[in-house]
Amino acid sequence: MRDRWLKYMLILPAALIVLGTTIWPLAVSLTTSFRDWRLTRSLTPGPFIGPEHYVIALTDDPDFANAAMVTGLFVLFDVTLTVVSALGLALLLRRAGVLQSVTRAVLILPFAVSPALVGISFRFMFNAETGVFTWLAGVLLPPLKGFVWLADPWAALLVLVFSDAWRWVPYMTLVVLGGLAALPKEPEEAARIDGATEWQVLRDVTIPALLPVLAVVAILKTVFALKMFDQVVTLTGGGPGTSTVTLAYLVYSIAFRWYDMGYASAVAWILTALLVFLAVWYMKLILRKPGQT
Amino acid sequence: MAEVILRNVTKRWGGFVAVRDQSLSIRDGEFMVLLGPSGCGKTTTMRMVAGLEEPTAGDILIGGNRVNDLPPRERDVAMVFQSYGLYPHMTVAENIGYPLKLRGIRGAERERQVRAAADKVELGELLHRKPRELSGGQRQRVALARAIVRRPTVFLMDEPLSNLDAKLRVSTRAEIKHLQFELGVTTIYVTHDQIEAMTLAHRVAVMSQGEIRQLDTPEAIYDRPADLFVAGFIGSPPMNLVTGQHSNGVFIAAGGLRAETGVARHAGSAVLGIRPEDVTVAPPDAADLVAQVYAVELTGEAVLVTVIAGGSRLIAKADRAWRAEMGATIGVKLDSRRLHLFDAETTKRLNPE
Amino acid sequence: MSDRAAAARRRRLVWKGLEAAILLGMLFLILFPILWMALTAFKRPVDLFDLTILFTPTLDNFRTIFGAPWNIGRTLLNSTIVAGLTVLISVPASTLAAYAFSRFEMPFKGALFFTILATQFIPAVVVVLPFYLLFRDLGLLDTHLALVVVNLAIVTPFATWMLKGFLDAVPTESEEAALVDGATRLRVILDVVVPMIWPGVVVTAVFCFILTWNEFLFALILTRDDAVTLPVGITRFRTERGDLWELIAAAGILISIPMFLLASVIQRHFVRGMTGGAVK
Repeated sequence: MRDRWLKYMLILPAALIVLGTTIWPLAVSLTTSFRDWRLTRSLTPGPFIGPEHYVIALTDDPDFANAAMVTGLFVLFDVTLTVVSALGLALLLRRAGVLQSVTRAVLILPFAVSPALVGISFRFMFNAETGVFTWLAGVLLPPLKGFVWLADPWAALLVLVFSDAWRWVPYMTLVVLGGLAALPKEPEEAARIDGATEWQVLRDVTIPALLPVLAVVAILKTVFALKMFDQVVTLTGGGPGTSTVTLAYLVYSIAFRWYDMGYASAVAWILTALLVFLAVWYMKLILRKPGQT
Repeated sequence: MAEVILRNVTKRWGGFVAVRDQSLSIRDGEFMVLLGPSGCGKTTTMRMVAGLEEPTAGDILIGGNRVNDLPPRERDVAMVFQSYGLYPHMTVAENIGYPLKLRGIRGAERERQVRAAADKVELGELLHRKPRELSGGQRQRVALARAIVRRPTVFLMDEPLSNLDAKLRVSTRAEIKHLQFELGVTTIYVTHDQIEAMTLAHRVAVMSQGEIRQLDTPEAIYDRPADLFVAGFIGSPPMNLVTGQHSNGVFIAAGGLRAETGVARHAGSAVLGIRPEDVTVAPPDAADLVAQVYAVELTGEAVLVTVIAGGSRLIAKADRAWRAEMGATIGVKLDSRRLHLFDAETTKRLNPE
Repeated sequence: MSDRAAAARRRRLVWKGLEAAILLGMLFLILFPILWMALTAFKRPVDLFDLTILFTPTLDNFRTIFGAPWNIGRTLLNSTIVAGLTVLISVPASTLAAYAFSRFEMPFKGALFFTILATQFIPAVVVVLPFYLLFRDLGLLDTHLALVVVNLAIVTPFATWMLKGFLDAVPTESEEAALVDGATRLRVILDVVVPMIWPGVVVTAVFCFILTWNEFLFALILTRDDAVTLPVGITRFRTERGDLWELIAAAGILISIPMFLLASVIQRHFVRGMTGGAVK
């Protein structure tokens, strides 16, 4: 096609936005991560100190080790719960029915709620003694009566996972439902005629065909779980102790409580490197023919 | 109105050659059909004339001017697309009037011309509908009206009938032919349907793998196919092609087929072609070839008999009352005036003109 | 035979019952937190920890949050301005870029598109650090402008991706027809492309508006008083005197209702937001 220059002009505004709002800050963060810069001491960047921050973070910082551990556990629980629930729910919602269409209709609601607000409402509902979920858990499982969820390190992490899953499972269910709707019906029908039970159809035909979609769900959820921040602030505040301090929250603490910009940038970049790696993987998956129109 | 000339035009995408060193001149007012299987380069050729693709090499001339560097809007061509390319958010009137709007024709004058074009294709009633409220045939008419509304120098039609059902295709075909006669505009028409090519064209360019294999009138292409590709592509059911040996004006194939070809100069392996309607059923003692019946198919107007002889199959056209059992032995006769002989190596025609 | 049929029917019935129970449980889990927040918003502080749903409803909480010192109206306005401006800048820019990516070949196109898309995976904290320092130096902390700039970083890649998905699904014939009919490329984009993908543009704009509206981290770090948006605004109700849950709930309803409405409008296309049409 023609329009030799036009195509570049069309891309220019968006490219400038991306350059200015992400590439530039990424580059600045990267250089800052190799500098000694504490805002408490100086308003201008200090000298370059080489990879010292990275070395400290990876070998000699219990806070970093803790945050990496918390983030890892959070990702593990969150992704597993989300993928399994979204798949299960989507399979249940696939059929027609009143209950099914009602549930399908409300699936978009949680994702429209601000994550910060989700955190606060869960904090309210898991409030010691007076929270409605605290009460409900006590009724359903009497040994849990009077249990203070947000004061227990493991329970607080689980509540954090639960709050995030509440927002994401319905959305991912919609994604899986979309994937299911796009599957051709013939292979399942052929399997049924060949004598497979419903369970065998699911295991041998449906789920294998759905794997690309499930991979999208898993990677996407991993990416967002790794970035977990909003609910940590509004639900647990990182506590009790440091038991729910994620990497993103650690960066925030280092930068805006201790004002150590150099070290914060280094930790942020470790997280970024991890995410870029995942991003490349994800994009390869969904853009099987990159650059193709 | 103008003639269209392609001079040594090549179109390449990376390593793939879509059109190879092609030259073609289309006379003023001529109806030229580019015919070939999908992927033969016919649509690419047309899109280069339209300016939607840039040739990798060669020149394109419209009315004597080289247009290679002109964008489509400056070439004064009109195009009817395969899926019509209507503007879904505009009404029929707005669709037809869009080319006029772009040329600054406004108000009552535009309305008058839109109505005239719409009336010509019998769309007068539907001017205020949106494309999605129209049937396939009606959409096709909107596309035609949009093409004729501004009296372009060249019409380009890219398989305009392929999305219509069989019945509509026949009637619209006649309308397109009449319209082109009436307007006298140079027309390039792309199709893979040989019937469309035969019925519409003044001349047909049969294409394969980016090259024109034969450029001639429909009659000539049917009666004297230039090579094996054209011979096999034109005609339905296709021409019978039998491989054998040729020497001293006689063609011999396994299974006892023997035919006098009248071609003196060729010796060696050759392919004999004969159209089914030139093969008739005959009593075995008066036949050119005795063979077994492989299948009998009634088409309505005739009976197609497939016979098998010496490993090759031959289709003959018999009278519609003719019947035979499967496996029966019958004789067939070849019309010796209608034999086509091709060189098995070069695939070129050997018969004299 | 009839025994087997009866057993099959019984099994089917049990399964149906189980299915219904799971779905009802899920329905409860999804809706309950929202409903509970809605109920709390109408409670007086004395009824707050009473788990019964029978209470005397009051609009006092809404009156309180709109009055001093909370002035939630101001926060609402901030959110609207920031989300609105972000969308108004990013969606047109993204539409043009997505069109170029969808329709033209160019050197490094794959790499360029890849870069734009990959940026959406970058954690917001790494972006916000340099911007915090820059805006502090420029005296732009706590302004709408600062928030719009950083939100563009999140929204533009999403929008480009979503719009390319919509554009790829539109056949090019109508555009080519317009070119042959005599339109310039820019004319084609305005007259033909934008009207054809208008629903997609709306879906994208709505999705980006929701994303910006709910954004928390940037607002937490870059704003203090003047430009505070709703997600940060609600954290203000956690005071030294304790958490004012009824006010949080009232503000929460205020944040959420518009987003529920917007999400319902684009319901069918909502999924595209994150997956960019990779999954429809």
